[in-house]
Amino acid sequence: MRLILHRMRRSGQIALAALISGLLLCPACALAQAVPLQERLQLCAACHSPDGNSLIPENPNLSGLDPDYIVRQLHDFKSGNRKSAVMSGIIPMVDEKEFAALAEFFSRQKPNPGGKSDAKLAAQGREIYDEGIVGSAVPACSGCHNDDGSGTDKYPRIAGQHSAYVVQQLLGFKNGERANDVKAVMRAVAKRMNEKEIRAVAEYVVTLKGAQE
Amino acid sequence: MKNTVALFVTLALLPWQAASADMADAVKSPKGYGSKDYVWGKLLPEQVEVLRRSGDLARGKEAFRGCRGCHKADAAGVTDGTYPRLTGQHASVVIKQVTEVRGGVRINPKMEPFSAEHAISPQEIADIAVFLESAETTRENGKGEGDFVARGKKLYEQGKCMKCHGINGEGKAEKAYPAIAAQHYGYLKREMDYIQRGVRGNSHPDMVKAIRHYSHRDIEAMADYLSRMPDYRQSLAERKGQ
Ligand code: HEC
Ligand code: HEC
Repeated sequence: MRLILHRMRRSGQIALAALISGLLLCPACALAQAVPLQERLQLCAACHSPDGNSLIPENPNLSGLDPDYIVRQLHDFKSGNRKSAVMSGIIPMVDEKEFAALAEFFSRQKPNPGGKSDAKLAAQGREIYDEGIVGSAVPACSGCHNDDGSGTDKYPRIAGQHSAYVVQQLLGFKNGERANDVKAVMRAVAKRMNEKEIRAVAEYVVTLKGAQE
Repeated sequence: MKNTVALFVTLALLPWQAASADMADAVKSPKGYGSKDYVWGKLLPEQVEVLRRSGDLARGKEAFRGCRGCHKADAAGVTDGTYPRLTGQHASVVIKQVTEVRGGVRINPKMEPFSAEHAISPQEIADIAVFLESAETTRENGKGEGDFVARGKKLYEQGKCMKCHGINGEGKAEKAYPAIAAQHYGYLKREMDYIQRGVRGNSHPDMVKAIRHYSHRDIEAMADYLSRMPDYRQSLAERKGQ
């Protein structure tokens, strides 16, 4: 299933694939209609894994994210404020009343950091993450997201996030495709970075462990 | 051959790139110093609003998170002077500078997106100001070469600088004159240069006048002297103890 989704995304039929997979998994919920959490989770699990630690690097880990952050993202997917070919195919099936419980569930899942990373790039990325880039006025990521990437209620957790997803989001902030950041600060940060720097910092983010309980 | 050309082009561009990054904020402000309606210290409506609020230290520390990426957790900035040391700065000065950047009086494109209305609220400015005023650091600030400190001291004390910024570089909280002791050498030099050239948007006209006749060397000497002063809070405590 995962493999099929992955191939389909690659071939560009993203929204369609998402819609079909959603229908297959949950035939009754093509239109937004609240269903019990356990039933709904099967849909999310297809891409984000049952414990929110996704196996596909383009699909973000949801484990340990702040619940309010998740709810806001789901609302933004629903309203189109945050664009995503994949999630925009999924979100019409989900009723807004379900958002809080879904968010609560994923925020409580235990993160499973430790993805693969290119050590050389990660070393460059660490410099950017901890110190910023003084010459081009890129602030240090650690200032907002914390040294360990654990984040706060205002700044999302990014520790251990897939590097492919991080690259894609940073490029999205940079070119304005993702413009739902409340404080517009992520756009300001990413606009000052080039693609090489973005790739390096993403290789470091994936190595972060976040606060350990 | 190709490599040589590439190298040449890179070298030729290098100084320009450095200058353009550094000079991004050296532009005349349409609402600031030199414009027809500019009056130093005229309170902007937002500044009045922030001054009326009482700040909270714990909240300020948390709100300062959005600033730490550049100014660092101890608010001591970066020693090369790219980002100033804000540790211990008077709350009145922080409020004046932040609201005047927001109001377009002082131009600061590097900071603007992170200090704009959507990023921090007026209450958070008040909170951050309280936090900074009491902030402490264990890091050394960036200092000059130390070659012309005596000359810098003489220029600072005999010129008009000391009248407003004080013998300890402590400034005047009630007038929103900044503390400048133990500031980074690079930052002091840059701001004095901007003020002299009339491109720091919220300069005090008296300050522009006072600094006008100084040479580049004089400015370096004063920056050197000021960067080697201890934190003004330490100087004031020592004076009290005597
Ligand atoms: C077909 C695969 C797929 C399914 C099914 C799916 N997602 Fe997603 N999800 C994605 C992808 C891909 C993204 C990244 C979107 C982007 O490009 O910005 C994403 C992003 C998200 C985000 C944003 C995460 C962040 O860190 O900002 C949340 C929250 C989310 N999904 C929740 C859910 C929930 C809840 C469900 C179940 C109702 C679900 N997703 C079902 C693929 C999927
Ligand atoms: C001034 C504070 C600030 C700084 C500095 C900052 N960020 Fe962010 N970042 C945010 C905020 C706020 C968001 C949430 C955006 C939203 O509301 O959707 C965010 C979101 C993100 C996301 C998306 C998370 C997700 O799950 O989709 C990534 C990735 C990210 N930041 C990486 C970085 C990196 C890498 C750096 C350093 C180069 C950095 N950030 C620096 C404030 C900051």
